[in-house]
Amino acid sequence: MTPTPNSTPQDQDKVRPHVFDGIQEYDKRLPNWWLVTLYATMVFWVGYWFYYERAHLGPTNAAAVEQQLAVIEAKRLAAAPNLDDASLWKMSKNPVFVEAGRATFNTTCASCHTEKLTGAIGPNLVDHLWIHGGKPTQVLNTVTNGVLAKGMPPWGPVLGPKKISEVVAYVLSYHQEGEPIEVQDAWVPITPK
Amino acid sequence: MPAQKITIEYNDKVVRQFLLATVLWGAVGMLVGVLIASQLNFFQLNFSTAWLTFGRLRPLHTNAVIFAFVGNMMFAGIYYSTQRLVKARLASDFLSQVHFWGWQLIIVAAAITLPLGLTRGKEYAELIWPINLAVVLIWVVFAVNFFWTLARRREPALYVAIWFYIATIITVAMLYIVNHLSIPTSLLHSYGVFGGVQDGLVQWWYGHNAVAFFLTTPILGIMYYFLPKAAGRPVYSYRLSVVHFWSLVFVYIWAGPHHLLNTALPGWLQNLGMTFSLMLWAPSWGGMLNGLLTLRGAWDKLRTDPVLKFFAAGVTFYGMATFEGPLLSIKSVNALGHYTDWIIGHVHAGALGWNGFMAAGMIYWLLPRLWNKPLHSTSLANLHFWIGTVGILLYVAAMWTSGITQGLMLNATTEGGTVLAYPNFLDTLNTIRPMMLMRVIGGGLYLTGWIVLAYNVVRTLSGAQAVNGTIEVVEEAPAPETKMGLAETFLNAPTLFCVLSVGFGTMWMVGADLVSTAGLVGLVVSLVALYALIPSRHELWNGWYEKLLLNALPFTLLTFVAVAAGGLIQIVPTVLAQKAQNVEDRIQVPYTPLELAGRDIYVREGCYNCHSQMIRTLVPDVLRYGPYSRLGESIYDHPFQWGSKRTGPDLARVGGKYPDVWHIRHMENPRSISVGSNMPNYPWLLANNLDVSTLPAKIRVQRMLGVPYPAWSAQDIFDSVGAQSRTISRDLRLAGAYVAPEKEVIALVAYLQTLGKSVPVAPKPAPAATR
Repeated sequence: MTPTPNSTPQDQDKVRPHVFDGIQEYDKRLPNWWLVTLYATMVFWVGYWFYYERAHLGPTNAAAVEQQLAVIEAKRLAAAPNLDDASLWKMSKNPVFVEAGRATFNTTCASCHTEKLTGAIGPNLVDHLWIHGGKPTQVLNTVTNGVLAKGMPPWGPVLGPKKISEVVAYVLSYHQEGEPIEVQDAWVPITPK
Repeated sequence: MPAQKITIEYNDKVVRQFLLATVLWGAVGMLVGVLIASQLNFFQLNFSTAWLTFGRLRPLHTNAVIFAFVGNMMFAGIYYSTQRLVKARLASDFLSQVHFWGWQLIIVAAAITLPLGLTRGKEYAELIWPINLAVVLIWVVFAVNFFWTLARRREPALYVAIWFYIATIITVAMLYIVNHLSIPTSLLHSYGVFGGVQDGLVQWWYGHNAVAFFLTTPILGIMYYFLPKAAGRPVYSYRLSVVHFWSLVFVYIWAGPHHLLNTALPGWLQNLGMTFSLMLWAPSWGGMLNGLLTLRGAWDKLRTDPVLKFFAAGVTFYGMATFEGPLLSIKSVNALGHYTDWIIGHVHAGALGWNGFMAAGMIYWLLPRLWNKPLHSTSLANLHFWIGTVGILLYVAAMWTSGITQGLMLNATTEGGTVLAYPNFLDTLNTIRPMMLMRVIGGGLYLTGWIVLAYNVVRTLSGAQAVNGTIEVVEEAPAPETKMGLAETFLNAPTLFCVLSVGFGTMWMVGADLVSTAGLVGLVVSLVALYALIPSRHELWNGWYEKLLLNALPFTLLTFVAVAAGGLIQIVPTVLAQKAQNVEDRIQVPYTPLELAGRDIYVREGCYNCHSQMIRTLVPDVLRYGPYSRLGESIYDHPFQWGSKRTGPDLARVGGKYPDVWHIRHMENPRSISVGSNMPNYPWLLANNLDVSTLPAKIRVQRMLGVPYPAWSAQDIFDSVGAQSRTISRDLRLAGAYVAPEKEVIALVAYLQTLGKSVPVAPKPAPAATR
């Protein structure tokens, strides 16, 4: 309760007249810091509610995240490397790129393609057979956008363009520019040894 | 008639029974906890055996600790203290025995059904419908026994402990019944009547307030009796009791939506949940203050008395947990901590620190009094205290570190915030493994402490004589002028000011423009009037409250009004609103019969204990899992499976992400796909045949609940199951991983592959009233 006018220090040390099974009760006033905490949280509630729910000064959850995602997309578009087949081949010869690509590949891709890239649930990546195109930019496209019908997830949003170009460089490091590219219809999963 | 002196003997037999059950079930609940914590570190401990897997045992752990351990402790404490506080023996020995044995039977039934995978699929509300009925029945027995005892009391006024017991009994009844409303499909299975967002809201209204009214209010009542008794000191402040009791029971109910922050739950509910959680901080600390400050002048006894040690530490942990709760309810903090071990640490600060230590203190205090023999060993009790304290601190520190580490890693981005820094979920899991191991050690120490208690109990009991407390009372007729009628209960200034403030506040919060403005004006006027009137009226109002304390029924009615308000205002609009207004821009396609069967397997195996199905409106969630979840995407889900913990990744959009063969191999042995995973193997799903015979009854119930299924015959359903499962099986054969169409895993894969598949709909403008 709010401190009452006649609660003097003497009153504070008096116990209430009633005793319950030997338990007595003081009737001390509420600590000020405690009351301030209580009132402050109530004031915060009013302010927060006014800001978000009455005046609509703050965005809704969905609006906030949409706006942040738009900024991210803009940044990605601006930063997207203009990769062509030649530059991807070049990356595949660069040990820094290939090593970074190997690390990502082994944690993200190897569960389906195996660490040797010879395929299990997902297709073999070291032979000359390609289902969705074997040109570097086609491989890049497959990794970025996925092939949902075949169970290949789109990795673009998760890994981002840098990691994806590294992974593609790593896959290409198993290949040579100018080697034959044969079209394969589908991949029959095999049990990994 | 001259006053007559009589001696009454308390029913302490039932107290002893509940006390011993507390010791036993406490050990069981903690043991299962240590086991499942170990399973998270060592997947082998799931033994590839259905009834030993984490997903089935975790509900056993939570239910055992909440309902078996704390339940029995609460009944022991309430029955012991109430008889003495009202100077009356428990009203009925028969009801007391029905209560005790009925509750133990429920616990045994739970311990059998949960490992068998019989579950409703909602946290702390897993028990199947026949057991639900038994719980309600026994709770009513408890209530009758309690209120009947109050009616026969010789102590006219109700002490603060009794207030908390009353709030516990009526509120748990309300929460439990509403959240368990179901329609049975068979003797062992039912679907809850709420679906999707409604189910989420009702579940966390229940779940959060199970913490409030099962783990907090009864223990506060127990604190108000046993702590001053043990300390031999008066309670610090009666007026603090009054203020914190009413503010606590009123505010707690509103805070449930803080379990669903940044999800698809409508924003106004999230904002209510967050702001009311913050307002809960001071009322909670009121209880802590009254406990700790009662110890003033008795601190020296803490050195020698293990009972007071446990109470002081328990109340301190309560203060810690109730500060952490509001902190975690702040949306931005929640974005980091939710779905991680931080929440696990938070609840264990409460369960081990507050509930466990208050239970231990109470048991050590009661033993000599109930068996008329000194405690076997005070030094063992002290040992228990220190082992337990170190255990809690290790546990909580491990979970804080683990939760914050994983939260930061999951939310971390790189390359200018455009890409996840740790796209592989397993990287984050394997980083926190040392902390997960430390949690096992902390929990193991705590369990060891409890076993020391059990040993001390057994040694104290051997050769001891059970003794029942007695009291000499003077029988006199109650003074008639203390009766309070309904009019006086509700039509008085304190009650009216409360009702007006809440009413005006609600008008301001959710009303349309004019209503809202009127609400604001009304709120300000009533608060100013209240403040102006207090100096001149406080004597009068105190007098009314003192009189209310002489009247158990009016007190109970007012408590019910206080606890019902929050739920009514949050839940009713959401339940009454047309489902179409709750879908946002996508709507779920009802599951095919096979997918529904697969979903029931998902629920049976307790997948929701580790996997959420809710992509939050947060950039890291969207980058990792895809577009944020819309309400419509789970609108037909009975029960909702949004989840509360991500030991594994979110599954809301896992459908179509991987080929069927990926799932088959992953269910058979997750590590063949995801190196370092701690998920159990599920070989039985590949071995067991799907039971399709229950599907027609299940789909009939789903139709009753509003899921738009056509009027299929049983044969239509079986044909549909056969066709879809044969297609999946054939594709698997082509993929080199043949599984026969009738196996359970085919249904589960069908379900997983449909997750996140929805159709776009044009958003409908929602009327202002339902917002």
